[in-house]
Amino acid sequence: MEAQPASRQKVLIRNVDFYYGTFKALKTITIPLHDKRVTAFIGPSGCGKSTLLRVLNRIYELYPGQRATGEVLVDGENILSPGLDLNLLRARIGMVFQKPTPFPMSIYDNIAFGIRLYERLPHHELDDRVESALRRAALWDEVKDKLGQSGLGLSGGQQQRLCIARAVAVRPEILLLDEPASALDPISTQRIEELIAELKTDYCIAIVTHNMQQAARSSDYTAFMYLGELIEFDETERIFTHPKQKHTEDYITGRFG
Amino acid sequence: MDTYARRRIVNGLVMTLCVAATGFGLLWLVLVLWTLLWNGIAAITPALFAQMTPPPGSAGGLLNAIFGSVVMTFIGTLIGTPTGILAGTFLAEYSRGSKFGEVVRFINDILLSAPSIIVGLFVYELMVVRMGHFSAWAGAVALAILVIPVVVRTTEDMLNLVPSSLREAASALGSPKWKVIVMISYRAAIQGMVTGVMLAVARIAGETAPLLFTALNNQFWSTNLNAPMANLPVVIFQFAMSPYADWQVLAWGGALLITITVLFLNIGARALASWSTFKQ
Amino acid sequence: MPADIALHRVSAGKSRHGAAGDFVFRHLTFFFALLVLLILSGVIVALIQGAIPALRTFGVAFLYTDVWNPVTEKFGALAPIYGTLVTSAIAMVIGIPVAFGVAMFITEICPIWLKRPLSTMIELLAAIPSIIYGIWGLFVFAPFVQQYIEPAIIDSLGQVPGIGALFAGPPLGIGILTAGFILAIMVLPFISSIMRDVFETVPAMLKESAYGLGATRTEVVLRVVLPFTRIGVVGGIMLGLGRALGETMAVTFVIGNAHRISTSILQPGTTISASLANEFTEAVGDLYLSSLVALGLVLFVITFIVLSIAKLMLLRLQKRAGG
Repeated sequence: MEAQPASRQKVLIRNVDFYYGTFKALKTITIPLHDKRVTAFIGPSGCGKSTLLRVLNRIYELYPGQRATGEVLVDGENILSPGLDLNLLRARIGMVFQKPTPFPMSIYDNIAFGIRLYERLPHHELDDRVESALRRAALWDEVKDKLGQSGLGLSGGQQQRLCIARAVAVRPEILLLDEPASALDPISTQRIEELIAELKTDYCIAIVTHNMQQAARSSDYTAFMYLGELIEFDETERIFTHPKQKHTEDYITGRFG
Repeated sequence: MDTYARRRIVNGLVMTLCVAATGFGLLWLVLVLWTLLWNGIAAITPALFAQMTPPPGSAGGLLNAIFGSVVMTFIGTLIGTPTGILAGTFLAEYSRGSKFGEVVRFINDILLSAPSIIVGLFVYELMVVRMGHFSAWAGAVALAILVIPVVVRTTEDMLNLVPSSLREAASALGSPKWKVIVMISYRAAIQGMVTGVMLAVARIAGETAPLLFTALNNQFWSTNLNAPMANLPVVIFQFAMSPYADWQVLAWGGALLITITVLFLNIGARALASWSTFKQ
Repeated sequence: MPADIALHRVSAGKSRHGAAGDFVFRHLTFFFALLVLLILSGVIVALIQGAIPALRTFGVAFLYTDVWNPVTEKFGALAPIYGTLVTSAIAMVIGIPVAFGVAMFITEICPIWLKRPLSTMIELLAAIPSIIYGIWGLFVFAPFVQQYIEPAIIDSLGQVPGIGALFAGPPLGIGILTAGFILAIMVLPFISSIMRDVFETVPAMLKESAYGLGATRTEVVLRVVLPFTRIGVVGGIMLGLGRALGETMAVTFVIGNAHRISTSILQPGTTISASLANEFTEAVGDLYLSSLVALGLVLFVITFIVLSIAKLMLLRLQKRAGG
């Protein structure tokens, strides 16, 4: 990885537990997320990596019976505190899901949806924001002539880039990517990875992936999780070449999946 | 006789009976529609749509009845649809596992199949007695009460089909819940919801009993919603049960009109439903 | 850059706007859901209120007295109740086997390309409004029955000692049997459609293991599919029964509207809904009106019980299927 400007801690996850009802899915997780860097979360199915991601924008609060304890400090402010406005929080943190989820509306309206929630922009400014978001997601050239068409008419890879554009259009500070390429073909996957490399210059990115090679390629830091616990966290290069925990080594070398 | 041969004979018999049963069902469909067409087509003349219901022994049409039916069906749908949609939205989006939601769902399904004449009685006691007279408003309310359970059911079913990932994606952008429902879930479910409304309209288009006690009938042209209003089903009832031949012809004509409308709406709703699943 | 646009962002004002919208919308939807409950309660209250004068005058005897005299103001519900129950029973006796046959045909025998159009056509039977069946019944079916069917029944079944009395009497065309038969045609699509839905829930593997043992189609359906789906089937039947009990217009045209109970099902009679449809708008006198409303209350109670049982059974089936 080429030399990057020094980064500060954007997010500090501290002693976070998570419960699905009475089942404890996350146990005392403490991890920093650095600004302008990509932090990857790897581990076998059910290890809690997606659950942890969903704590960060408190999307779990949509479902009764799910709760988190502990602290998540974003720029020093604990976002798990009870009085916090969840909608405002989520406007600062973008999320892209495993399966592409275009809204049933035009491509333009898909991107504009998030912007319109919080900003009242004149028409041409909105057009500019939509265009810049689509450019950021490397989708502009493919859709610029059909912004009025439904987002559902795009291919899988294009839909996912649409979702990425939708997330960056509201100018969040943090981007959460939950296995963004797992439902896509290899070529689309590669484009998404290139996109992530470009996006990190502006955002703090956390990505969950079951594809270790992807983690090794795209991320600066990696966290290995197992059965709800954080086993190891380090710079990516070190984790993949000199893992400190035997468990990590076993997973990376494929002794278990 | 050998057991296996006997089993085969029994099977053949049952299969034949099943085919016969299906033929039986279809036979009546064809018979009813055919005689309806045969008897009703004679009444389909321009006069049907231009003239009012006549006194016995003279020529006439069904214009006032058609108008009344259209107006009351329209108002009934207008009142019942938003009510049904909002109630169905509550059941789908706000009542996860709550007792209240279960009770409402249960009651709604009872209302869905309840005799429509009971609804007519209810609105009679509620409105006609209070107001002192029959009225088109009462008729429209009775029809609305029949529309509501259908729309509640289809709205709830359609909203439940909207994938939760779509809702999460909208929430993740910071959208308040009501916007997620109105701007995302409704849009995703719109085709199913429209189908539900079409089926509800098809249901009330032919309903007689609830109108008997509410809007009654009116021999003349009237646009006064606060008075009895002519409508196709009650006119058909009155004319068909009468001994006058020209009234009976008009009754067949009215019956044909209603049936065409209802079948059109039903088949249209089905076509819309399968077209949308085909698109996806 | 993200940071300064964050300043641009509309402040706490907008978030409270979102919260206000949520509050309003949530309570709005709650209100309309409550309205559904209120409608049902309203129906019950209105019916009871209207029926009280009659119930107070006649008491429980109202339910089993066979008299209906507007002149002397003596009313008893036995004839309409009897007619309602018997016509519905006839509808079930004819309708259930036919519905079963249709459901079995569509799910097991029918070629795939025919399934959709055939189901649609059967369901159109349900879409045809009741009054259409009524005038068809009066002008087409009843005369036909009078000319051909009833004489044949009277000459055959009517001569059998014992049950012959059930099929006696002059052939009128209209009457309890005709009404019951038309009801059967009307409820058959409802029962058949639910049967079809529950038949389709049977796991293919279950049926295949039976076929694999050499069972015939009939045996698979009767010994595997039906037992597996019996709760749903009964639920569907109850739903059909609920519909039959409340049917008004079709019955009104062909039942003959005679407030009497005859042994023969070929004779005219009346049902609760037919009495209401025929007499309500002409009824004079509070006791007459109240007696009619009391009839409506009886019908409501019967159908409410039947439909509740149907719903409970279908709910149990849903739960069992993992819904």
